[in-house]
Amino acid sequence: MNFWEAMTGSDLTREWKAFEARAEALPADYRAAWEEIKGHLFPYGDFTGRNLMPILDGALGLLEETASDGQSIHDVLGDDIAGFCAALAGGEGARSHRDRWREQLNRNVARKLGRLGG
Amino acid sequence: MHDLTEMLKGTLEGCVLEIIRSEETYGYAITRRLNELGFADVVEGTVYTILLRLEKNGLVQVTKRPSGVGPPRKFYALNDAGRDELATFWAKWEYVTSRIDKLKEGGR
Repeated sequence: MNFWEAMTGSDLTREWKAFEARAEALPADYRAAWEEIKGHLFPYGDFTGRNLMPILDGALGLLEETASDGQSIHDVLGDDIAGFCAALAGGEGARSHRDRWREQLNRNVARKLGRLGG
Repeated sequence: MHDLTEMLKGTLEGCVLEIIRSEETYGYAITRRLNELGFADVVEGTVYTILLRLEKNGLVQVTKRPSGVGPPRKFYALNDAGRDELATFWAKWEYVTSRIDKLKEGGR
C-alpha cells in the first residue's frame, strides 16, 4: 500500500471488486452465505474496514475450497454463521466499533457515578 | 451425540492438535476425522477458525499445496511449540478428568 492508496482507500476498492468477482463464481447457496458473512463481519470493522480484508480473504478462500470439494454450505458453516464470524474476527484480534462504544459507555457511566459519589 | 458444542469448547483445539500430530493434514480431513469420532456437530468452519488461531499462535507449520480441483489447500503440521502445547493440553485434560471422575464417584 502506498501513500495515495492509504489516503484514498483505492486499494480497498480494488480488493473489494476482486472479492466480489471471486464470490460471483461460487454456487448460489455459497453466495448467500458470503452475503451473510459480510453482514456479520462489518460490525468488527475499524474505521476504513481495512482490518477486515485479510479476514474476508480467508473466509472466501474457505468457501472456494469447500465448494470445489462439493460440500453443502451447511456442512461447512452449520447453523451459526454469526458465531463463525465472531470466531473469525476474534481470532484475528480485530477490535470493533462495538467494543469501542462499549468502552466509551462504561467510561461515561463510571464518570457519572464517580461524580455522584456512588 | 448432539449438543456437545458448549462442552467441547476449549477442548476442540487440543483435539485438532492431536489429529495434526499424527500426520500433516488439511481442514476437510480434520473435520471428517472429528465427525468419524462421533463429534457430528463439528463443521469445517469451526475447524477453520481453530486452525487460524493455531497458525496465529505459531503452533503449526503451514504449507500450501495444489489440489486436484479448485484452489490450493493449506496443509498443517505441528512444530515444536505445537508439540509442547499438545503435551500441556493432555496434562490439563488428565487433571480435569481425574477430578471430575472423583466427583462423580462421590469422593472428595
